[in-house]
Amino acid sequence: MKMRNMMDFAEKRPGMNIGIRGILAVFGAYGFGVLGARAFAGGLSPPLDAAALSVMLAFILEAGAIIWVFAASTVARAAMGLAAPAALFGAWLAVAG
Amino acid sequence: MAWLHTWSGLLLGWLMFLIFVTGSLSFFRSEINFWMRPELHRAYRAAGGAKADSARMIAHARRVLEQEAPDSPQWQISLPGPRFPALSVSWRASESSATPPGGRRGHVGRPAMKRLLLDPSTGDILKARETAGADFLFRLHFQLYGIDAITGRWIIGAGTMVMLIALISGVIVHRNIFRDFFTFRPNKGKRSWMDAHVLTSAVSLPFHFVIAFSGLLLLAGQLMWPVMHGLYPDARAFVIESRGGRARFDIEPPSGTRVPLTDFAPLFETARQRWPERPPDTIVITNPGDSRASIEIRQSYGGRLANRAAPERLFFDGAGGELLDTPKAEAPSAILAVWNALTALHMGRFATPAQRWLLFFAGICGAAMVASGLVLWRISRLGKHDEKSSGEAGEALRMPFGCRLVEVFNVAGIAGLLAAIGVYFWGCRLLPGDLALRVNWEIALFFIAWGVLLFHAALARHLSAWAGQLAFSGILFAFLPLLNGLTGGASLFRSIAAGYWQVAGFDLCALFAGALLLFAAWKVHGRAAGGLSGAERPLPQPVAGN
Repeated sequence: MKMRNMMDFAEKRPGMNIGIRGILAVFGAYGFGVLGARAFAGGLSPPLDAAALSVMLAFILEAGAIIWVFAASTVARAAMGLAAPAALFGAWLAVAG
Repeated sequence: MAWLHTWSGLLLGWLMFLIFVTGSLSFFRSEINFWMRPELHRAYRAAGGAKADSARMIAHARRVLEQEAPDSPQWQISLPGPRFPALSVSWRASESSATPPGGRRGHVGRPAMKRLLLDPSTGDILKARETAGADFLFRLHFQLYGIDAITGRWIIGAGTMVMLIALISGVIVHRNIFRDFFTFRPNKGKRSWMDAHVLTSAVSLPFHFVIAFSGLLLLAGQLMWPVMHGLYPDARAFVIESRGGRARFDIEPPSGTRVPLTDFAPLFETARQRWPERPPDTIVITNPGDSRASIEIRQSYGGRLANRAAPERLFFDGAGGELLDTPKAEAPSAILAVWNALTALHMGRFATPAQRWLLFFAGICGAAMVASGLVLWRISRLGKHDEKSSGEAGEALRMPFGCRLVEVFNVAGIAGLLAAIGVYFWGCRLLPGDLALRVNWEIALFFIAWGVLLFHAALARHLSAWAGQLAFSGILFAFLPLLNGLTGGASLFRSIAAGYWQVAGFDLCALFAGALLLFAAWKVHGRAAGGLSGAERPLPQPVAGN
């Protein structure tokens, strides 16, 4: 599998490993937080509550995602750990809103 | 996790230190602003007299407003309070009534107001120097300076998120943080720095979490725009609505019929009897002299955090003086209450003097946490290097460029920043009052001093750079009280004798900070002169967290 080889290649090079995790932490975690917050709280009824709760949630999810990205044992796991729930959030958003 | 803590802390450590220091000072923004305008210092009156004299102060304020702004659509009178001893009058320029509500001038769409400060006992107009004041440090805290405010806020936001990550990973790394909290082993080199780092983190850990998170919330309209945008395309609308709906700059149009304005001292008395615990201190008069005049009397802060410490208000008819229907603030929803409590806490809206000091010290602990962490990083990596190079020069190891960079930034970012703030205070007092662009010069002095210190840190040997810059900042701060007395302010003896704590508090803090910095400089100097005497000795076994 090509994908697997690429991941393995990155995994074994410290600079690349950290670089990819860094990109995941900066952009991936942010997107994860935004998607999660909109899926969970974006539809709340008074917009004031929806905005306040989803923003708080977004920051909490983002922080958790950043920790995850650096805690995961491999780069592949770090990426999948963000992508799988994010896909769920996205699907939920597409269906519900 | 240790890796994450070490490197996230290092990456934006100096930025975090700046945010903590300027943020802590911003808890005392009014007091610092007052100190930086010594012309106002004579505005002090014995605090006990304040109650009896409010009627007279209101009369002074009204006289000035009638002279200066007879055609203004809105006046505001703020009585001296515990944090700012001058009487302040402000008014909206008359042409601004033509600006539609929500016009883009001023902060959050409020048209700018003109302001005069008065001596509360005589009603004389006090002409204060132009100074950027504590507001410069306040802005530096959340949007930096010299770059676009939006960019500045992104950088601050990134720093805050990294801070949150460093905190979470730090608690995971230092699993025994609360047990270690009771351990302090001085003069043991790296171990002492570790103890100091853990101590300053643990002593106000909840504060650090709350302040970082609420800081993000305060910038959320920008940082989380993909979340906010769908709900509130204009983030300001969210801010206004979360603060109770009606924007403050809505002014009812006047009827055009002139009717003399009622005496509002008795109205103020009514309000004071209604709120004995948090007396009113602000009067807003809309359409003065018109038949549609209205008078609003309010507290500076209310007592309920869930409500963003929103003040209680009373509305009166401006012509007859009758009490009108007071709009009852709706209780916020649970979610909004959490939001309000967090953001109000961050801004110290609510705080009594004791609570304000607590916030200040928690912030300083945060700064110390960051500083000790940065020093710890350097000691962990360079202990061996110092051991070998401090003896014979010939044996000196080549220091990796990155490590040297951290050394230089540590000195300039910690001691250098403190010294630059000291220089800023000196500049405020010493620059001539009639200098053109005086405010810009003050700020320029701050950055010139900081830049020179960065050079100094890069050129001098590491420990002597520390000693020199700590001593320099210590001297700057320790002599601020003297400078204050010599350049027209209320001197420390006078302010203490009179119980003038707004000014004495600043001077005493400066004195204390100066003494602390000089002590630190002396300790470092001893180490730099005596070679290796403990501080740089590497430990035999690795310590958790590295």
